[in-house]
Amino acid sequence: MSTPLIILIVLAIILVLMYNSLVAKKNQVDNIFASVDTQLKKRYDLIPNLVASVSKYMEHEKSILQEVTKLRADANKPNISDKQKIALDAQVTSALGSIMIAVENYPELKANENVMHLQSSLNEVEEQISAARRAYNQAVTDYNNAIEMIPTNFMANIMNYREKEVFVISEGERTNVDVKELFN
Amino acid sequence: MKTTSELTDFYYKTLFPTLETLEEDRKKLRQKIIKVGVFYTFIVVLLSLVFLSSHINFDIIVFLLFAYIGIGLFIYKMLIKDYTKDFKHSVIEPLIKEIDRNLSYTPELCVREHTFTRSKLYKKHIDRFRGNDYVRGTIDGIDIEFSDIHAEYRSKNSKNKSWHTIFQGLFIVSDFHKHFKGETIVLPDNAQSTFGDLIGNWLQSNNFARDELVKMDNPEFEKEFVVYSNDQVEARYVLTHTLMQRLLIFKKRSGHPLGVSFIGGNIYIAIEYNKDLFEPSIFHSLLKYKIAMEYVSTLHLAIGIIEELKLNQKIWSKQ
Repeated sequence: MSTPLIILIVLAIILVLMYNSLVAKKNQVDNIFASVDTQLKKRYDLIPNLVASVSKYMEHEKSILQEVTKLRADANKPNISDKQKIALDAQVTSALGSIMIAVENYPELKANENVMHLQSSLNEVEEQISAARRAYNQAVTDYNNAIEMIPTNFMANIMNYREKEVFVISEGERTNVDVKELFN
Repeated sequence: MKTTSELTDFYYKTLFPTLETLEEDRKKLRQKIIKVGVFYTFIVVLLSLVFLSSHINFDIIVFLLFAYIGIGLFIYKMLIKDYTKDFKHSVIEPLIKEIDRNLSYTPELCVREHTFTRSKLYKKHIDRFRGNDYVRGTIDGIDIEFSDIHAEYRSKNSKNKSWHTIFQGLFIVSDFHKHFKGETIVLPDNAQSTFGDLIGNWLQSNNFARDELVKMDNPEFEKEFVVYSNDQVEARYVLTHTLMQRLLIFKKRSGHPLGVSFIGGNIYIAIEYNKDLFEPSIFHSLLKYKIAMEYVSTLHLAIGIIEELKLNQKIWSKQ
């Protein structure tokens, strides 16, 4: 076999490997985002029950309850982008955190079996969402690295792959989310 | 749970009369072992001189040496058998009961082989599986069992067969407080520490014997361990930031290589000590602080796993 032909074959193999690895990374991001979505949906399903159980008592926190209900309605709208989902998730996390902190001020609510059950369900979903977010962020980091690093960046450019956003949670929100600490 | 210093106090104060009796037995046994050893060696040397005087052959010398060590070990084990039994019954058992009354101790038994295999921590086929010092019970409503384990495989070459250790050390199985369906395995990170980040990572992600590589978002944990799982999200659901931190602390405390797996609602922990634990010391005094601390801290570490990793916090839906 002639040398140029060998070089051509090696080059073709490298290109195919690069192409496949980029596609695999992109699909991994989409696949894990589906898990995030499932967990977010689980949490949205809990919201009406939570609002119904606590609204009688929480006169002063009516605005937070209204906000969380509105956010849920926004999240359930069809055709919202992944970016919007990420933004809504951050807001819901923060609002739910505020509700959970407020629950602490109502002894009768804290002892209510229904609320306790909701708290533990939310706590678990929160933990699952956190896991899904972390998995998503890792997949996005791998993907973003691949489309920024040489030599895969050239291929990514041709394939029109663009950087994706990760879930960012501010430290303040992180403390709010840490509902489990409240239940100990 | 009692602290290690409380347990050391218990070892010296409450067990003192027993330790004194055992110490006397130990001294007598040591004398006996030395006498038997000298006599045995003398006989072997004498016999060797008679046989080897006519035809000196390297193979025969090697064979005799192996036979000398093999028979010697057998005699040694026979000599210490009763003393070992007494020691385990009067020192290890009270120590375990002192830590938690709900735990039962059987010196002769060990964690079952299929439980060990189910952990998927070691992939090699096991040819010989032994163990002892089996502890089983419930702490804060959490089932736990552990024992000493020695798993080996046999290799054969043209001349002889030899045994190789797959795992030797402490093997712990306990309930885990979360529901999960997948399998997540945490192993010591040998590849990255040997070959560096780039090649190590490449080797890890191409480990065909394992599931997918999971990169964890805790640099310290990533440095110490490598995680494989068949579910990227669930691996992170099980390994929260807090648990990763706790496992790092646990590894530091144990001071030995550590493997952890999460399978079928259980957590499996394998700590490689590469020696038989909870055995009585024959050539060092039982009253020595270092010897006492070894028994106490190993037991404390194994039983303390539930508190250490907060496995008793059933704040999740798993009740």
